[in-house]
Amino acid sequence: MTWTDEELVARSIRGDADSFNELILRWERPIYALAYRTIGREEDARDVCQETFLRAFRALPGFRGQAKFSSWLYRIALNLCRDWVRRERRTPVVQAPENVDLMDLAAAAEPSESIEDLVARKDLSRLVERAMARLPEEQRTAIVLKEFHGLTFQEIADLVGCPLSTVKTRLYQGLTVLRRALADTHR
Amino acid sequence: MCTYSGNRDEALIAYLYEDGDAGERAGFAAHVASCAACRAELDALGGVRAQLARWSPPEPGFAIGNPQSAIRNPQWRWWRDVPVWAQVAAAMLFLGVSAGIANLDVRYDANGLSVRTGWNSPRSPVTSPKESQVARHQPPPGTGDLGLATVVTREDLVALEGRLQSELRAVQARTAAVPQPRAVDGDVLRRVQALIDRSEKREKSELALRIAQAMTDVGAQRQADLARIDRTVRQVHTELGTEVINQRAEVAKQRQSLNILLTSLRQ
Repeated sequence: MTWTDEELVARSIRGDADSFNELILRWERPIYALAYRTIGREEDARDVCQETFLRAFRALPGFRGQAKFSSWLYRIALNLCRDWVRRERRTPVVQAPENVDLMDLAAAAEPSESIEDLVARKDLSRLVERAMARLPEEQRTAIVLKEFHGLTFQEIADLVGCPLSTVKTRLYQGLTVLRRALADTHR
Repeated sequence: MCTYSGNRDEALIAYLYEDGDAGERAGFAAHVASCAACRAELDALGGVRAQLARWSPPEPGFAIGNPQSAIRNPQWRWWRDVPVWAQVAAAMLFLGVSAGIANLDVRYDANGLSVRTGWNSPRSPVTSPKESQVARHQPPPGTGDLGLATVVTREDLVALEGRLQSELRAVQARTAAVPQPRAVDGDVLRRVQALIDRSEKREKSELALRIAQAMTDVGAQRQADLARIDRTVRQVHTELGTEVINQRAEVAKQRQSLNILLTSLRQ
């Protein structure tokens, strides 16, 4: 039998650890993906993901169901990401994939090309990642929530605490900047 | 030149994502039909979305698990505690045992490389009645081929042919009397074959899993070793620094004592 999130939350509050495990299994990948796309560092995204579930676990008795469990979880994760960005006081970095040998890449690089450029050239995915990393935090968050998590404009507005029209404007501005950035890299 | 009267950017985004107010979207759709600038921008932003879709985060490679149940259900911990070399050895042993169980038969001959698995042992070459007859008529060991040439005559061969023909007819009659395998037997065979196939697939995926785990652990071990080496080097640096400072202090102390001694000697 498949329980809904809300039923699993209710069971978890009553002390059923397996139900919370089920919630983690259900949501760990989306939360990790959200964290990774927001802060751009694999290891830190894992930490944010873990911390999100720890905080959710601790705060579960206080969860009244006024919002969807997923929205509540997203809010915790977004706050943690925001804290991380402010603590580090820098824009998200582009990270070389773990399975790529940087020495091999360096050997294949053009004389004037940095490793970072080379990694980006290897994969369009990395191009997008770099362009996203340059966006202001609020535009990046709006794009990530809309594009990769399929939230409605209203849900995003509720999550980040801004008017609906602001969400649309942030999305428009973010996509327009991305469009220019990706066009530049293709030239 | 776009002539849309409302907030164009918001309307365009709502239209792009098919989200937001339905009336506004419908109004903007009518506008798009006649506005080349908006159509071009929608196309371009759609292209950006397509590129965004290719951005996938790396595999997390984690299992957070419930903090409570992870403590209560440590069923995988034993495997994590086993050294990497032992895991690789276990994987190899597993492969060997699996191959044995699956009756793996690898041959390389004039027909090329052939790999056969399963419980059916390769069928021995069919021995024709004639051959078996000749085999029965082979000379006793030590007599050699010459002895056979001296014994077999034309009459013997004619008699042998007649006997073989009669035996062949008898065999054909017996074969005709044997009931044909029922459809059920075929069904059972198919099921057994499916079971064997499933078992082989399971063994392969199990092996791949073990190897992947071993590789992950090797990576983790490498990271841990590098961190340990780094710590050790730092510690050595710190100890060396402390030692140099102590020695300097000792030299200064001795120099001071020597000065005091020299001063007292002069006096």
